[in-house]
Amino acid sequence: MIFRILFSALVVNTLVACSGTTVVLVPDANGKVGQVDLTTKAGTTRLSKANESAEASKADKAPSQPEELSESKIKDMFSETLDKEPKPPEHFVFHFTTGSAEILPDEKATVAKAKSAIDSRNSCDISVIGHSDTVGDNAINEGVSLQRADAVIHALIESGVDKNCMDRRYYGENDLKIPTADNIDEPQNRRVEIEIR
Amino acid sequence: MNFRDKYLVFRVINHFGWLLFLLLISSASNAAERIGLVKTYSPVATVIREGVETSLKVGSEIFEGDTIVTDGNGAVGIIFKDGAVLTLGPSGKLLVENFLFKPAEKNVSFISKIFKGTVAFASGAIGRISPESVQFETPTATLGLRGTKILIEVE
Repeated sequence: MIFRILFSALVVNTLVACSGTTVVLVPDANGKVGQVDLTTKAGTTRLSKANESAEASKADKAPSQPEELSESKIKDMFSETLDKEPKPPEHFVFHFTTGSAEILPDEKATVAKAKSAIDSRNSCDISVIGHSDTVGDNAINEGVSLQRADAVIHALIESGVDKNCMDRRYYGENDLKIPTADNIDEPQNRRVEIEIR
Repeated sequence: MNFRDKYLVFRVINHFGWLLFLLLISSASNAAERIGLVKTYSPVATVIREGVETSLKVGSEIFEGDTIVTDGNGAVGIIFKDGAVLTLGPSGKLLVENFLFKPAEKNVSFISKIFKGTVAFASGAIGRISPESVQFETPTATLGLRGTKILIEVE
């Protein structure tokens, strides 16, 4: 019995000893580098530059200081995982005139672009997200953002996209692209976004 | 207890019964909502859902509370509903502990636990709306991601 306890204590100890965590901050698909905090019970290390890395070897020990890793080292550690990365989602945007849900003539080409992206990814995982600016009442704006999303869904269906592959969301003025005060006419906020996953 | 009181008690019970029923329905529909889809797959990778282990493939649905497991050759790439991309490499085990995506109410959260293995993660809309809401827990540390892409190895 005592051996069993000792043995399991040993197993648990080795497990804990081997559970080191290494994190590497890398540029995303658009080349953007963010920030990550690695925190243990004894401290935090913040990474904010491309290819910076830190390690937390034990839960009660402070993480190591940032260290820049070479591209080849990162490849050594993560190539099997990076090889299997899905293509990042693709986005398309439509803009609208005030209060309107009509697709603008010079944005009709975007429908075809979105359709070909959907085809080349063979995607059945698409969100169509309607938005408005802050002019007028939000209840009305929700309705407008819904109509805009529907207009884009309708155009995609006409171009041959399966209706069942799309989900619709509409946020009225609750998710502004350009933050503004109420009652501001901001063309960039009157939009529908398509996310193809 | 007079007739009127009994009637009131009956009405209250009736009311709570309905509330309970509605609560059950709403929690059931929440639990059943998919949060992501498998986009890339190398055998063997499985999901443990409510104690039952099933194999994954391209197109498999992922739900909150799922534990994803890969063997020595396995890998799985998932795109979540908010556009986040997560890839789990060989000999890995990861739990999607908490996934909440209600952008209109700014009510979002994305917390995962990595038990072992390597992970590549690029955040999506949840990270954009509320950077402090994207977190990974490992046996030794917590990772708070403020956009956008990290690689993690848990030995």
